[in-house]
Amino acid sequence: MIRYIIRRLLLMIPVAFLVTIGVFTLARISPVDPVLVFAGEDRDPVQLEAIRHQLGLDQSLPIQYVAWLTHALQGDLGRSFQNHQRVTEAIVERLPATLELGAAALLISVSFALVIGIVSAVKRNSLVDLLSTSVTLMGVSFPSFFLGVLLILLFAYVIPGKIFPPGGFVPITTDVSDNLRRLVLPAVTLATGSLALNLRQVRSSLLEVFGLEYVRTARAKGLRERAVIVRHALKNALIPVVTLVGIQVGAIIEGAVITETIFSWPGVGRLVVQAIPSHDYPVVQGVVLVSALSFMLSTLLVDVLYARVDPRISFESAAA
Amino acid sequence: MAGTTVPLTLGRARNERVASTIYLLRRNPRMIVGGLIVLAWLFVAAFAPIIAPFDPIKVNVIDSLQSPNATHWLGTDDLGRDVFSRVLWGSRISLSVGLISVSIGLLVGTSLGLAAGYLGGKFDLIIMRGIDALLAFPALILAIAITSALGPQIQNAMIAIGIVAIPAYARLTRGQVLAVRAREFIVAARTIGCSPLRIVMRHIFPNVMNALIVQATLSTAFAILAEAALSFLGLGPQPPFPSWGQDINYSQRYLPNLKWWMSVGPGLAIFSAVFAFNFLGDALRDALDPRLRRSA
Repeated sequence: MIRYIIRRLLLMIPVAFLVTIGVFTLARISPVDPVLVFAGEDRDPVQLEAIRHQLGLDQSLPIQYVAWLTHALQGDLGRSFQNHQRVTEAIVERLPATLELGAAALLISVSFALVIGIVSAVKRNSLVDLLSTSVTLMGVSFPSFFLGVLLILLFAYVIPGKIFPPGGFVPITTDVSDNLRRLVLPAVTLATGSLALNLRQVRSSLLEVFGLEYVRTARAKGLRERAVIVRHALKNALIPVVTLVGIQVGAIIEGAVITETIFSWPGVGRLVVQAIPSHDYPVVQGVVLVSALSFMLSTLLVDVLYARVDPRISFESAAA
Repeated sequence: MAGTTVPLTLGRARNERVASTIYLLRRNPRMIVGGLIVLAWLFVAAFAPIIAPFDPIKVNVIDSLQSPNATHWLGTDDLGRDVFSRVLWGSRISLSVGLISVSIGLLVGTSLGLAAGYLGGKFDLIIMRGIDALLAFPALILAIAITSALGPQIQNAMIAIGIVAIPAYARLTRGQVLAVRAREFIVAARTIGCSPLRIVMRHIFPNVMNALIVQATLSTAFAILAEAALSFLGLGPQPPFPSWGQDINYSQRYLPNLKWWMSVGPGLAIFSAVFAFNFLGDALRDALDPRLRRSA
């Protein structure tokens, strides 16, 4: 297994290299001169040249790339043009809020998907099944920002008592109950899209497994239905769900971009959205790089986990 | 013999095609529902200037913030602009971004996939590593990064979403090419001296068509959703031009005043358009490509 992981990590290197080239190029194709953004109001030509030199922008593109990559490998993603804060520091500062939101959304998504998906598959064509297939269909088509707006309207303004606040963040260390109260609406908004996908996967995997011979054997030898589902069917049916959830973990920052903007949640997603209008490229570059690398790592993790939970897949055959 | 039978055969073939299409539609009511909503939106987008009762960007402060009524079916915004007219005009942006970006992805991705699958070797290796690199980015993050680099304009949103769509087409096409490349009819075509271009275009491409149609329909749904998300973040067309995502973002400031109609119109428009393309795509997948059919 260690050999498989090392092999996969080695295979990731050329892709990661191309990703860094992509991220670097994106910041360089912009028509806006980063020196003007960095200088702000100060437009003295001598000063501008000094800044250009200081940022290394007077060098050729390959040299700029090597310098940027060397720094990035050491964890230095440059400084924000806006407030001159280190980008790594800005990301690390906001990461806990994003992770809290992502974890809550995944918890909602996976638990609801499991419960409704199992009931839906066991009682096929029932009312619950009809409801779950409708949720699936609606969930993948419903824009998360529209759902967020509707939830704010309903729970923060229309329903008396203002159950949940329309946005904002209070650290969990300051006030646990206020933190959780503010977490509910954004977490539900973020969870809906993945809930639809997970629900569809749980239901279809279970239905597939229910048709297999070993489940029929389990039933034939007189096992109770609960034991058949929990001990036999679910174990195998959940393998594709693990893959899906693993990929969703890697894409937390992507999902958070919209949700954090709607609910003024001070996470990494909002950081990148706030950096765009002010052409704060180091921040955009940093967040894009971090989200791409975390996405790649989660894919690797999913592959390893997949082979671990499914004994039919051997590392040797997967690596071949 | 062939000369006398051709017209008869052609006529019969056409009748059979019509009959099989009717059979397909009758067996897949989802295709009819999805297709009708898609057609309705295409009609609205094409004729928005004629259908829309008001100018979508003309400010009329006297009529501002009216709730839905007989004159303004979806109410008005804070500048007195008719929300219904803005929703109708907004379909032009959403659908044009959807269709053009999917065309970019389809054209580039399919060409790369065909070339990589057919030529193989180092070319395949290089192309597929590039595709892997594109796939390493979460889709929306990549679209945001490209649009923010190029500037917040509708053309740039189209390019960004198009680039994001490339990997799906490239991988799909390459996989299908690899599946048919070793089959007898391709070997036969090669044996009788067909050029690689002719083999790819006349013999391989038709085998990939069905899967591409399904993918194109589903990725149009994604493209509409992505455009709305970019517009919501201020990276799409700029005000005062109507755009569904941007209008929802704008309406947010009036939520405390319970002016719900400003966001409900564009929100339901996005939902219905995305839903229709997803619905149609799923139905097409079941009908055209049984290998990709879901087990559910």
